[in-house]
Amino acid sequence: MKRRVFILVLASLLLALLLGQLNHHLSTWQVHVWCGGLFVAFAGLRIAYAPGASAAFLAGLLLDANAPIPFGTQGLLFLAAHAVVFTIRARAPRDEVAVGVVVALLANLGLFLALGFLRIEAGAESARAWLRSFADLLASQVVLALIAPWFFAVQQRLLERTAGTTRSFARHSF
Amino acid sequence: MPPQRFDQAKPFVTLGLVLLAWLLVPTALKRMARVSFFELQAPFESTASYLRDLQDFWALKSRPQNQLIEAGRDIARLNAAYEVRLQQDSALRAELDRLERVLKLPSAPGFRSEPVRVIRRDFSSWWQQLIIRKGRNYGLVEGAPVIYAGGVVGRIREVHAYTAVVELVSSPGMRIAATAEGDTRPVSYQGGINPTYGPAFATVEYVPLDVFVTPATPRRLVTSGLGGVFPPNLTIGYLTRVEPSTDGLFKSGEVKLDSALSDLTEVTVLVPETPAGLE
Repeated sequence: MKRRVFILVLASLLLALLLGQLNHHLSTWQVHVWCGGLFVAFAGLRIAYAPGASAAFLAGLLLDANAPIPFGTQGLLFLAAHAVVFTIRARAPRDEVAVGVVVALLANLGLFLALGFLRIEAGAESARAWLRSFADLLASQVVLALIAPWFFAVQQRLLERTAGTTRSFARHSF
Repeated sequence: MPPQRFDQAKPFVTLGLVLLAWLLVPTALKRMARVSFFELQAPFESTASYLRDLQDFWALKSRPQNQLIEAGRDIARLNAAYEVRLQQDSALRAELDRLERVLKLPSAPGFRSEPVRVIRRDFSSWWQQLIIRKGRNYGLVEGAPVIYAGGVVGRIREVHAYTAVVELVSSPGMRIAATAEGDTRPVSYQGGINPTYGPAFATVEYVPLDVFVTPATPRRLVTSGLGGVFPPNLTIGYLTRVEPSTDGLFKSGEVKLDSALSDLTEVTVLVPETPAGLE
């Protein structure tokens, strides 16, 4: 289990670094991409509960370390999103990439709005802040839809090469 | 209706337990974990910024020699102008020292300038920050002001071993005591309006009623020097609109920030010469 968590966290670290570089270049246009849903979708859909939840929580902590928010905020949000995805996964053909992308998009939408409610203070300028947030959300969803198949494949390959098949991990829920 | 299986509720029970446990974890432990997670990512970010610098270097190497000669000539002219300014500056500084001695005034806090490359810009609607390539290894301290050629960039929020995090002047929640240029009365500046595809805006409060500006005749907003964090007269932005606030005692308004803020590659940290400089 520890190896699976390590591999998933390593993949999350790679994604966080790549998104960081993308955001660095997008900052010129005041656009920000946040793909939190992508950090939980694979772990929630295809991995057993304990390693998947641990990896999602640690991925959230990785993002929290760079953000001016109370440490653990994104970690706990990711854990909550993972719990929801894990609960509904039995009702969907979870090995399909398209299903994974849709789940990642929905998880990202929910997480983005939750983080927005936590960060944007109600006030005279909150409408303008939300307007900017929705522009960022649109960009994030587009980027997420484009990179999700690649990221799922990376996680799948890394797990297969280092810790066996994902199917054997997902067979038993706990 | 069949009773819900416990394994269906287990993820949420676990979530509740983790939340409870997280609330009970000591702050020192959380802080240590945060620093560890940050330092884990810092070398990768630094490497990426070095690679970008290398890319720029090779891009510059491919420039024709004529362009380099022209750039060298322009820099020589600028250097000559700055030499004259430096001489004037040292004369003014000597005069200031003399007046401080005569009037027995406490001397203004001094700063050491530390130029730093930007590793990463992070400009979301929730926060706006820069990660820079120097940290405790160069004596940077939390709260130190960060500036660039156009004025204020922000102030250092976190200092790590080899990097530091700068909270931008455009970040929501960033507050500075400022004054309109040519005025000594302080106003309260707060960053936070960052529209897509355009320069950031901020708000000001407690503007005196006799300050008038329009978008056609903006007025420079500068640091007041109050509080001792930022030296006085550094440009923050331009006041483009003011209108009476609801209480009628002051005005509130909007400040347009420099669009170059979202494209910074190098900044200067003003490190206080005495640790008490930021208190």
